[in-house]
Amino acid sequence: MSAPVSAGAVWRRVLPVWLGLMALLAVACALAYAPLGPWTAAVSFGIATTQAALVALLFMRLIEASALIRLTAACGLFWSAILFTLTFADVLSRLTRS
Amino acid sequence: MSTRVAESPASLADPDELALGLPESYLSAGGTLGSWLTSTDHKRIAILYALSVTLFFFIGGAAATLVRLELFTPQADLVGADTYNKLFTLHGVIMVWFFLIPSIPTTFGNFLLPLMIGARDLAFPKLNLASWYLNVIGGLITATAVLAGGIDTGWTFYVPYSTTFSNTAVTIGVLGVFVSGFSTIATGVNFIATTHLLRAPGMTWFRLPLFVWAMYTTSIIFVLATPVLALTIILVVAERSLGLPIFDPAKGGDPILFQHLFWFYSHPAVYIMLLPGMGIVSEVITCFARRRIFGYDFMVYALVAIAVIGFFTWGHHMFTSGMSPYAALIFSFLSFVVAVPSAIKVFNWTATLYRGQVGFESPMLYVLGYIGLFTVGGLTGLFLASIPIDVHVQDTYFVVAHFHYIMVGATVSAYFAGLHFWWPKFTGRMYPETWAKFAAVLMFFGFNLTFFPQFIAGYLGMPRRYHVYPPEFQVWNVLSSSGAAVLAAAYLMPLGYLTWSLFFGARAVNDPWNASGLEWRTTSPPPRVNFFGRPAVLAKPYNYHPEGAAPLHDEPRIPSQGSLT
Amino acid sequence: MTDPAIATEAPLHAEFLREPWDGLGLPQEEALSYQRFGATFGIWIFIASEVLFFGALFLFYAAVRAEHAEAFATAARETNIVYGTLNTAILLTSGLSAAAASLASEHVPLRRLTQWCLVATATLGLAFLAVKGMEYRDDIAEHLVPGRGFKLPEPSAQLFFGFYWLSTGIHGVHLTVGIGLVARLIWIGWRHPERLPGNPQVEVTMLYWGFVDMVWLFLYPALYLVGRPG
Repeated sequence: MSAPVSAGAVWRRVLPVWLGLMALLAVACALAYAPLGPWTAAVSFGIATTQAALVALLFMRLIEASALIRLTAACGLFWSAILFTLTFADVLSRLTRS
Repeated sequence: MSTRVAESPASLADPDELALGLPESYLSAGGTLGSWLTSTDHKRIAILYALSVTLFFFIGGAAATLVRLELFTPQADLVGADTYNKLFTLHGVIMVWFFLIPSIPTTFGNFLLPLMIGARDLAFPKLNLASWYLNVIGGLITATAVLAGGIDTGWTFYVPYSTTFSNTAVTIGVLGVFVSGFSTIATGVNFIATTHLLRAPGMTWFRLPLFVWAMYTTSIIFVLATPVLALTIILVVAERSLGLPIFDPAKGGDPILFQHLFWFYSHPAVYIMLLPGMGIVSEVITCFARRRIFGYDFMVYALVAIAVIGFFTWGHHMFTSGMSPYAALIFSFLSFVVAVPSAIKVFNWTATLYRGQVGFESPMLYVLGYIGLFTVGGLTGLFLASIPIDVHVQDTYFVVAHFHYIMVGATVSAYFAGLHFWWPKFTGRMYPETWAKFAAVLMFFGFNLTFFPQFIAGYLGMPRRYHVYPPEFQVWNVLSSSGAAVLAAAYLMPLGYLTWSLFFGARAVNDPWNASGLEWRTTSPPPRVNFFGRPAVLAKPYNYHPEGAAPLHDEPRIPSQGSLT
Repeated sequence: MTDPAIATEAPLHAEFLREPWDGLGLPQEEALSYQRFGATFGIWIFIASEVLFFGALFLFYAAVRAEHAEAFATAARETNIVYGTLNTAILLTSGLSAAAASLASEHVPLRRLTQWCLVATATLGLAFLAVKGMEYRDDIAEHLVPGRGFKLPEPSAQLFFGFYWLSTGIHGVHLTVGIGLVARLIWIGWRHPERLPGNPQVEVTMLYWGFVDMVWLFLYPALYLVGRPG
């Protein structure tokens, strides 16, 4: 984990991430018009998840953070998952009834 | 008992003062109002919170008094229907968000957390002060709602009534709660960071007092549940005041979704109201039984389990809402599961008393009352977790009695227990013990007289939130309202004698109860920097006797210890 | 792509050390480093809470979309994908400058880079708001505000736009707070240049900015990429 000490080193770390993010943005935009049927939502949110992971891991430096900080970030995700899962247990089973 | 002090006591602030060896306490470090209102000392902020929390307690109590006065008779003779709705809403909103949720964490937690772990202050002292201001501003905003005519939706402000039909100051009221939510999130962040990072050398996780574990687990709930409430409030305000369709069924919105979002927060919120009290009980019961806590590790696991599993159970508030029965079954099962760690705690507290030298000092009276009342409240919670029973008693006084047994019988008892136990530490004064014992016993009787008849009334079918009821319920209501009068007296008594003790009470020594815990290893009240030198921890908590051995009964039960320095 | 690992530079400014981190009995550098870790930990706890906040907002979206898939798709076609994609690109670029500022702020020689990256971040944030403002103006002109006179006939199409205005509004508020925090750092860097390198507040602010970025990354497909084919 060597810290960059020149401006060039800083840009060498962050520019590739940015290029990846922009490429994914272009793909998402293009695929939005593709006839993917029921997969469109999964694809567009899947790309968004990938972009968010790149931002979190590389821009926000989770990849080199301590275990405690990564656990904290994971807790936010896990608890959101509880919220979604149990609510949808109700929402979906009511949908299939009507 | 198990600490080492490295340096000599601090010098006096005024060099001309005769050095009696008495250190300057946090209370005298700055005497102006400004020094109090801009202090980042966690102890002073705890006192500020104690004042605001007490004020809110009596406002919420005043609303409850009017409610119970009205319910003496089956007819509407004291207040009209709209006013009654506003009264119970005020009672709920103030008591839940401005008394119970902040009470123990922001008063005892703020004061004691750094002391118990051997730290100088919380991790982010300025954030702590900001947290108090946010709480007060939130309270003022909600008070504005009261002045603007009140809110009549109930503290749960269900949609579509709160968004579409209520003509009262709902938006202002819930915005006050929104602001105070940030206060609790900030406190949670502070407590979590402090517990992780500022423990004294030797204070490992499994040497922490259970009160610290209670503050830590409560803070996890603060941080993860409160934001969902914040968003729910925004959705309600957006629909009500900005005209955006959110839950409106006419536009295809789903009112049950509101309930999911609301209870995702509000069920863990009741654990916010419960866990800190459990921490206090563990501290007090060990001291006055002169025993180590039974099963320390499982007490810790139980706190964590309640905090985590409590997030999975919110649907049990919605069994009669039209929610899907499959989801209801899942929530019912999980609600039974969450009772297990609570029961473990009750068994362990009881086992802690075994072979102890149990005394009945006033904090212990409150704690013994807690255990009994919490058991009743917890068992009736199990009844409510069972769907068939819940369908019968939902929205009746049975539910009201259940949650008051927990929130008032348990949590408020714990609050008073802690108040008495740590009063010498906070103020440097002892309170009159006889008055305190009397108030504790009076409170126990008044509480049961108030709320036990409500179980019966509810089971027999009396609905909640009604000011007019069929005459066959009157006997239970009269009992309940009479009990409320006794309870009110029992709450006013501590206000009286504790205030008296501030001026006339005997000076307290460092450790009047001969208790374990780092907070008793410094003066009463502590100096601004908490400790003289840096404490280090050498042993486990609650070392009232050697591990694995029963305590010897050949010494005085509570030998007085410590001096004024 | 190797980074020079060895450099000698002046010690980071010790005036950032504050109570209670100065009372731990640690040497100054270590105490400051511990304090910095504390600040980073604190902001991540807050970010976890914000994940729940926006998670609840997205839950509302998901539930309503599940209940009214067709009307949602019809309504979502009315959003302007050009503005949306442009704004996403702007925000991602601001994330680039924020990440660069965060890295550069750890080193005294990179002080000017830090300052310029902060300026770029704030400017891009303002650009986002400006584009959003133009988009809002167009949306209002096209009667996409829920209420009487709404453009589409289905009632549940208004739910989509209820979410649209609410979520972009809330995101905008968060972004504005972020711009304010960055502006404060720019001011500190301009008036007291020596207080910027090593300042834990830079990393804290940049982490907050990264999070606001992440929220938009999910709002973009939620608002702009629905119902496009056909």
